[in-house]
Amino acid sequence: MIPHFITWIWHIRGSLALAPGQSSDDAFDRLDPLFHQTGTSRDRTSDTLTFHKKDQAAQDKMSVFDGGVLRIEKSTAGPVLRYHLTSRALLFCFLAPLLFLALAQATIAVNRFYTPGTSAADKQAAAKAEEKKKAAEEKLAKMQMNPIDKALGAPAPKKPGADDKGDEDKRKPTPKPAYVFAGIFAALYLVGRILEDRLIKSLFKKRLLAS
Amino acid sequence: MDGVRVGNRVIGTQAPVTVGWENIPKVEGGPVKRFIFTWFQPAALLALVVFWYYAPNSIAKASTAIGIGIGFNALLLVLEWVNPRYDSWRLTWKELATDLFFVGLGYTVIHTASYYIGSDAWADAALNYLAADHFGWFMTLPLLVQALLILFIFDFGQYWMHRGMHNWYPLWLPHSVHHYITQLNINKGAVGNPIELFLIGLGIGGFFDFLPRAFLLSGAIGMAISTYQHINVRFNSPRWWRFLFNTTEHHSLHHSQDYESTRCNYSNSLIFIDRMFGTCIDGEAELLGMEGGRRMSIREQMTYPFTEGWKAIKGRLDPARNWPAAGGGNRVETAPHV
Repeated sequence: MIPHFITWIWHIRGSLALAPGQSSDDAFDRLDPLFHQTGTSRDRTSDTLTFHKKDQAAQDKMSVFDGGVLRIEKSTAGPVLRYHLTSRALLFCFLAPLLFLALAQATIAVNRFYTPGTSAADKQAAAKAEEKKKAAEEKLAKMQMNPIDKALGAPAPKKPGADDKGDEDKRKPTPKPAYVFAGIFAALYLVGRILEDRLIKSLFKKRLLAS
Repeated sequence: MDGVRVGNRVIGTQAPVTVGWENIPKVEGGPVKRFIFTWFQPAALLALVVFWYYAPNSIAKASTAIGIGIGFNALLLVLEWVNPRYDSWRLTWKELATDLFFVGLGYTVIHTASYYIGSDAWADAALNYLAADHFGWFMTLPLLVQALLILFIFDFGQYWMHRGMHNWYPLWLPHSVHHYITQLNINKGAVGNPIELFLIGLGIGGFFDFLPRAFLLSGAIGMAISTYQHINVRFNSPRWWRFLFNTTEHHSLHHSQDYESTRCNYSNSLIFIDRMFGTCIDGEAELLGMEGGRRMSIREQMTYPFTEGWKAIKGRLDPARNWPAAGGGNRVETAPHV
């Protein structure tokens, strides 16, 4: 049995008071169109509706959920709809930061793998590459700007040595994007957990109160 | 459905499509809104060209380009919300999370793979082996010409890779996943199997030398054109723009549920490449995807090329079965998933 505070990550539970005297059949009839969607199967008894979704359409209003149970219970204050829905999308989003943190570590490992070693051959290759880079920079510095660019006032290409640390091999993979996406998904999870909880409650409420 | 005859083909027999610019809806609303959504695309392109042409060296850096790219994407997300092309393409939390996951893969795994084993790395290795230098033929040309050449070289390669993906089953397998998207939003271009995203980034650009600023200019021009392939915004793109550049209209047709419509508009930015090779159709579609619009989960997007590839190999070994067609040509037989 998984503790409630853990299942809270991808389970959404809630309740809504029905109008006094509203029957289970009437409540489920009003909610029924929500379950007539592509990839949705549902099973209805007098006071319980169970549904499952697979490959749900993007615009399905309940697309974030993969299954759940809706139950009408009698209480002293009147009938109440209690729902318990599960969402793999929320669980995935909760776990995504871990995946991106792992990718950050993988990037570090790959960079290390490709870093030239200390053998004589590696040193020679690194020196050759450095020499080639310098030659390319010098060639660039000697190159005359195209007269059209000169006339239009475009800045001259950067001279070698000037601000070298600025854009040195900026394409080389770093773990930074993975850390950024870990943060983005942590924020996205919090937004989704709160937003989808509210949206489903308001969707059920709208349907149940619709005249 | 009867479909529409376009040249030698009949399109729109399996799902509704709109053909011809005169039949495509215009931006609705007041004069200010219509003005903004008519001139936004050319104005953004011009602003980016001017910025990258004149930005001082201290600013003209890859990090600035990344920042501008993120800001531009955020602005376009706002435009999607303000003026959607179709309500049926509205961005939801789940769609956004899915799209961002693939964007994240693009910035991490795919970027790392492209850097170390992509076409630029192979070009460098080949030139090293041949003790040759990069081809610096274009470096003295005007900056803008260099930028357009970079764009054309990349787009030309991408056109043929993309067309190959729709015509050769082993390449179609990784690309097919991208065709399961059922709506166009700003980050949908990143959605696909990582193998396809790696393959589509291959090109011969690594053999050439251009000025660093020309690369930045080219990247900005590419961004200001190709981003509109996947976007849920209605624009009144000017006639010259639609003639030269790929638009949401062109690309929505390419993603249509109608098989014949998917076999057109292959280029990334420059639709005139499609015009050159007779594969351009001017039109649009709202109903997108495969198998009647079945939305594929992330897990299936990751495994689909392998599971389907395995099935195809088994089929190949069995003489009673046929090798499936590329481009999802056999999907008419597949019932919509209900």
